[in-house]
Amino acid sequence: MIRTPRIPRRTFSMGLLAAGLSLSVHTRADNAVSAKDIVTAADGVRNPLAPFRMSLLLVEYKSGQVHDTVGLAVHSKLNASTGQYRNLVRYTAPARDVGKLVLLDGGSMWFYDPASKASIRISAQQRLIGQASNGDVLTVNLAHDYSAKILGEEAVADADRQTRSTWHLDLTAATRDAAYARLETWIEKDTYHPIKSKFYSDSGRVLKLAYYRRYETALGGARPMETIIVDAVDSHLVTKVTASEYRAEDVQDTWFQRDSLPRFSEE
Amino acid sequence: MFLKIAFRNILRNGRRSLMTLLAIAVGGVAIVLFGEFVGFVQASLETNAVQNVGHLTVFRRGFFDYGAGDPAGFGIANYEEVTGLVENDPEIRPLLDVITPTVSLSGVIGNFEIDTSKTFLGTGYVPADREKMQRWDEHGVAQRRVLQDSGLRADDESRGVVGVGLARVLGLCAPLHIADCPPRPAPTTWVAANAGAAPDVPRESIDTEAAAKADIPRLDMLAATANGAPNVMSLYVTRAEPQGARELDDNVVVMSFALAQKLLYGRGERQATGLVLQLHRTEDLTHVRGRLEALFQAHGLDLEVRDFAERQPFYRQAVGMFSAIFLFIALIMGMIVLFTVVNTMGTSVVERTSEIGTARAMGLRRTGVRRLFVLEGSILGAFGATAGVATGQIVAMAFNRAGATWTPPGSAAPVPLEVLTAHAGGLLAGVWVGLVVMATIAAVVPANRAARLQVVDALRHV
Amino acid sequence: MTPLTNEDAVVSFHEVGKVYDDEGLRVTAVKNVSFDIPRKRFAMIVGPSGSGKTTLLNLVGCIDTPTSGRLEVCGQDTGALDDRALTDFRSKNVAFVFQGFNLFPVLTAYENVEYPLLLLGVGGAERRERTLAMLDSVGLADKGRHRPNQLSGGQKQRIAIARALVKNPALVLADEPTANLDTHTGAEIIALMRKVQREHSASFVFSTHDPQLMSHADETFVLRDGELFDHRAREAS
Repeated sequence: MIRTPRIPRRTFSMGLLAAGLSLSVHTRADNAVSAKDIVTAADGVRNPLAPFRMSLLLVEYKSGQVHDTVGLAVHSKLNASTGQYRNLVRYTAPARDVGKLVLLDGGSMWFYDPASKASIRISAQQRLIGQASNGDVLTVNLAHDYSAKILGEEAVADADRQTRSTWHLDLTAATRDAAYARLETWIEKDTYHPIKSKFYSDSGRVLKLAYYRRYETALGGARPMETIIVDAVDSHLVTKVTASEYRAEDVQDTWFQRDSLPRFSEE
Repeated sequence: MFLKIAFRNILRNGRRSLMTLLAIAVGGVAIVLFGEFVGFVQASLETNAVQNVGHLTVFRRGFFDYGAGDPAGFGIANYEEVTGLVENDPEIRPLLDVITPTVSLSGVIGNFEIDTSKTFLGTGYVPADREKMQRWDEHGVAQRRVLQDSGLRADDESRGVVGVGLARVLGLCAPLHIADCPPRPAPTTWVAANAGAAPDVPRESIDTEAAAKADIPRLDMLAATANGAPNVMSLYVTRAEPQGARELDDNVVVMSFALAQKLLYGRGERQATGLVLQLHRTEDLTHVRGRLEALFQAHGLDLEVRDFAERQPFYRQAVGMFSAIFLFIALIMGMIVLFTVVNTMGTSVVERTSEIGTARAMGLRRTGVRRLFVLEGSILGAFGATAGVATGQIVAMAFNRAGATWTPPGSAAPVPLEVLTAHAGGLLAGVWVGLVVMATIAAVVPANRAARLQVVDALRHV
Repeated sequence: MTPLTNEDAVVSFHEVGKVYDDEGLRVTAVKNVSFDIPRKRFAMIVGPSGSGKTTLLNLVGCIDTPTSGRLEVCGQDTGALDDRALTDFRSKNVAFVFQGFNLFPVLTAYENVEYPLLLLGVGGAERRERTLAMLDSVGLADKGRHRPNQLSGGQKQRIAIARALVKNPALVLADEPTANLDTHTGAEIIALMRKVQREHSASFVFSTHDPQLMSHADETFVLRDGELFDHRAREAS
């Protein structure tokens, strides 16, 4: 398993603590677990490292009522050189949208419509509202784009209003292309499951609030099967993203090229 | 002597001469009034434009043509330095009234309490500078207008002004006291077949904006920063202002410069997308523009300069249209004067045929006859023109006191309607000369006819 | 008829003819006349209407030119001059007195008399002197400021005579000068013309029906059908 190389290091540092030997310079309890470690682990919980596909069911609620339902098939692969995931998303439901594609590559988003056979780039200005704005929430890569700092430990209510024991981390944008200026995230201590995240704009206002729940094993680890995104600007909007059918897949790099989109759409 | 004869002949048929004179005078009055009206319109259009976008704007090269798609990509870095450079230039400083940085951007603005949003075009101004700019009035055409503040506040950067259409769409009719707002149609809710309630997740941790300004209508502005990150800021709307053109009315947001900067540049370097210059006098525009371009080239700055006519092409089109209409009317009036004088002089020639014969017999040359009649035409023209121009100017002054108003194209509300009586010397002189020339030319044809009469036939005429 | 030398003749006709077009019809007004009019006389051209006397007078007055032959007025061949030269010639040498007086209604009596001097470019002081003298000579010195419509027929003709003579012309043409006047006034006018003729040594050529005027003729030329029918001369007195 590709994740295994990390385990020895964590176990090793855990072991050192248990042994009472302090090889690190931190003097606090649990100081051997660095913010970066936590964040990396949390990333790994959300996204498998190896190329995979999964199905997503997006239900959009407006003022508490179901407003729209979308079915997607997602093919994902980590781009080793940039450290960012590339996602090819295909609409599977409703019937009128079947075959439409969205390509998410780093910071860019492309949309392809089989009816017009045209692919257009969705600019950042066009991704300010609507489901396109949730794309950044789902694909956020904390370890790569943000520098983390542990604020402390907290008992926080999860999506089901159960109390969890978490690390409360503060993350600030480390790269120029990071979509959010700042994040706050609560990671469960033992399991490294992300419980909750708050996404901040450059002006300091909260843009999104995300909860992660229904952890089930898939593709070698526990993953949140449900992500609930609350829009902090338009507070009437809540999106529930349900994942299923995780499968390892030999995702080709060529799939993520614009020219391949028409062919992919037909499959 | 000729003059004496010409004068007396004009007075000979007093009524006919008076009618001709009146026709010329009326033509003169019409051209003077309309000419001064056109002058007023041009001055007003210029004043509106200059109040809004100043005389010249400094942009990063390429912004004017491509910036709308990527405003953050065409910013002026070190805009404060550039401002200082321009302000301190010895040639520009005495001519400069205001120089101020601005930011133009676009994004989505919404009233999310009622779940409505739309795109917007925003501009950020420094409040004090904006107010100063809106008081520019070189030609004195804005004197009687009701002055408003800019809607921005120096002490509160979150304050702004929106177009009436935009306010209406975003449900601010009531709080902004907008008149004539039709009732909002009920939004169509689309409920899916398998309706389920939204997940009940705890949301107390989302910070809400301080309720300190709860009585002021608030809108949320979303924009993408230079890096493509979504950014959101609040706008507290002071009022809704009609914009004149519907497309602007539905999209315009005016905010403070600081707010626009924060929204567009986010965590990146704070720049400006334009530097607006307003001069004391419009006639200095070309000189200052040349100086700016020289200055930028000397310092190797990748900046360009655009004037208000380029930024508001409507100005040139409107001015051109009014000029064309004026020329057309002047031409028509000229034609009327021409025909009237031709008619009058022609009749005169026929009536005086035997006199012409007598004079010719006595030794008056053909050219002498011609000169006499042309002179009569000129004198009629001169008197008619003087009467017309003087009356026109008096009527114009009286009209200005009458307090009429109108809503010009591109304007949102009625403004005082005036005609430009000041500095009209050129127009008045031109009209006077034009009418006299017209009358003189008109007299030539009948004068030639008179000159070419055969003496024998003329003497035989009763 | 004793042929006169050129110095004695003010007007010399040498086979002069005048043909003109009257609405497509060619009319021969004067056919091949040859005669001289002596200077400083009262010469009268008489004849029935249609005899061509008006045309002949027009030719003498240099307001028309012959279509054939040669006409000399005051020694000048009138056919050789263009319109402008002819006009200038008239200005200096020929004056007119008309049946209808033909005064300029917009000018005063004084200004009417002054007019020919203005055409000649005479200076202000001399003009004034001569005009006043002329007014005086015709006995209307006090009427200088009156407009023609304020004068009687006789007075108007006097002014016309003054206007004609003020420039000291060699030749004065009078076309029916007494036709619009009663007998008494007519006699006065004839007397006045005699007087000024003597004073200015001018040659008068008349065209007339008036027997009273004809009785004063020094020379009478009778025209018939465009030709000279008869010439009678009175011994100079």
